[in-house]
Amino acid sequence: MAELEVALIGAGGIARTHLPAWVALGARVRLYAPDGQAPALAREFGATSVGSLREAIAGANVVDVCTPTDTHREITLAAVAAGAHVLCEKPLALGAAEAAEMADAAEAAGVRLYPGHVVRYFPAYARLRALVAGGGLGRVAVARFTRTGRYPTWSGWFADPARSGGILTDQMLHDMDMARWLFGDVVRVHARQQGHLTAPAPEGAVATGTAVLTHAGGTLTQVVGVWGPPATPFRTTFHVSGTGGTVQHDSQAHLDLRITGAASGGPADGIPGGDFGESPYLTQIREFAEAFAGGPEPRVSGRDGVAAVRIAEAAAESARTGRTIELAPQTTTVPTGGIDQ
Amino acid sequence: MFALSPDAVVVTSENARHRHLVERAAAAGAHVLCEKPLATTEADARAMIDACARAGVGLMTAYPVRFSPAFVALRRALADGLLGGLISVHGANNGSNPARSRPWFADPELAGGGALADHTVHLADLVDALLDGEQAAEVYAQANSVLDDGGPAPDVETAGLVTIRYPGGVVAAVDASWSHPPDHPTWGGLAMTCVGEKAIVEFDAFPPLLGGFDSATGRDRWEAGGADLDAAMLDEFLDAARTGRRPSPDGESGLRTLRIVLAAYESLRTGHPVALSAAVGTAAD
Repeated sequence: MAELEVALIGAGGIARTHLPAWVALGARVRLYAPDGQAPALAREFGATSVGSLREAIAGANVVDVCTPTDTHREITLAAVAAGAHVLCEKPLALGAAEAAEMADAAEAAGVRLYPGHVVRYFPAYARLRALVAGGGLGRVAVARFTRTGRYPTWSGWFADPARSGGILTDQMLHDMDMARWLFGDVVRVHARQQGHLTAPAPEGAVATGTAVLTHAGGTLTQVVGVWGPPATPFRTTFHVSGTGGTVQHDSQAHLDLRITGAASGGPADGIPGGDFGESPYLTQIREFAEAFAGGPEPRVSGRDGVAAVRIAEAAAESARTGRTIELAPQTTTVPTGGIDQ
Repeated sequence: MFALSPDAVVVTSENARHRHLVERAAAAGAHVLCEKPLATTEADARAMIDACARAGVGLMTAYPVRFSPAFVALRRALADGLLGGLISVHGANNGSNPARSRPWFADPELAGGGALADHTVHLADLVDALLDGEQAAEVYAQANSVLDDGGPAPDVETAGLVTIRYPGGVVAAVDASWSHPPDHPTWGGLAMTCVGEKAIVEFDAFPPLLGGFDSATGRDRWEAGGADLDAAMLDEFLDAARTGRRPSPDGESGLRTLRIVLAAYESLRTGHPVALSAAVGTAAD
């Protein structure tokens, strides 16, 4: 894939996960970030830093949008206009209308647009999909998902609903997308959010969200999101019950390697910590890169990105109004084909 | 039996028959411990509370989980401010479908409903304890009968999710499903996570003491741990009966949690969140 010319836009946390994946796939990467952080990140991974969005996009086959959500539309439309395929970080946009405009533009231009719904590439979640799609749980009645981490105070835009959509959209969209992928389209949404819901968020802020999704087929999903106190470890869980039994997962329950006793409380010097399988970000970007090169469609589409934003937008409206939000059935359906796992 | 003039009576009948038995016990001058949910209608619950008040006997609702020493510690930590303000609670009370062995659990007339009536109240009572009896402001519920469809519970919901909002801003998200398969190694479980401003606390009411594998049954081994919650609950009931003080959780606690269940069923019917009036009235007469 040496012919891949990638323009990576943004140099924050998510760019730091995407850049090594592109490098591992042999892509040439030019990096641009309006916040001036691009040169340092580019140096770290042997990429090239450029001085403008125009310069980054010019001649790129692929544009990878890793900027704050409120800028996704403008950058994606510029990339599409330049004839580049796009990987856009989740959520595609703050509203479903904007997200649909992005998907429409990509289709009209004959380029691919994929949303960075990376949770579909985490092994436990990919296996859950294989189990459900393969009938291993029978008819699913009820599912719960939780996603817990520290409040993202390290970058101010996360706390600003006008820029990120807040916890319901920015964080809980992952599990809303999983629920739709697993159990089909969502026809009714009720959500609540509480805690610190505005910018600026001080160190120590806490926010939570809860959503109940009713799927067209009758399955019920509960999604809980927590932006916790500063020492909160990152953790995700799910529990799914069907006529064929139950399945559950807790990302903190069974670690390959658990390190304790180090003075800092973190990994000891010289001992590798964390996950030892392939990075889900690499799995995701490889699948997208193959599709950009004419290979098979990946497990997620631009329309899935639009549909996930539609659910999150309904959740935000429900939280704001206190009402249940009904969603009309979509013309697009959830792909049911199996995935390699 | 009432001819024996008991000092105290424990009512464990079908939910809809609680009222009659509690009124008889009160008329006989006996303190009463009544199974949950306290009743199947608000009118019945109020009548039971009033009957016990008129007779000068205590009425306690049988919520054993709040007697768990771990929950007592959680409640104290919250009250002492160690967790900061409580922001939200999410939890699951899942278990086997009780109608498989006792069909009345799936008879709406006798049980007041299905899984929602049976399971929402335990978590609702824990939040009631944490919030010192704050009456919920609003309830949203969704349910289905996918599990055991055509089995022992065809007339009632077997799975359900409930979202409860309290006037002070706390939101509780509850999974009240009968979702344990028939051959699951445990009858049921209850786990709850409390998110506070300063810390997140997870509570497991029925943690396993031992695990492993049982070759005789070909299933996971599960040796139950935790305290004897029923014994602790009975201690409270008997101590209150002996001393004449008010037991806790009392009939009003039972009524507050019943109102959440009744609002959940109204939400199922309407598809919308259901508001509860701010204050529970006292004596109806």
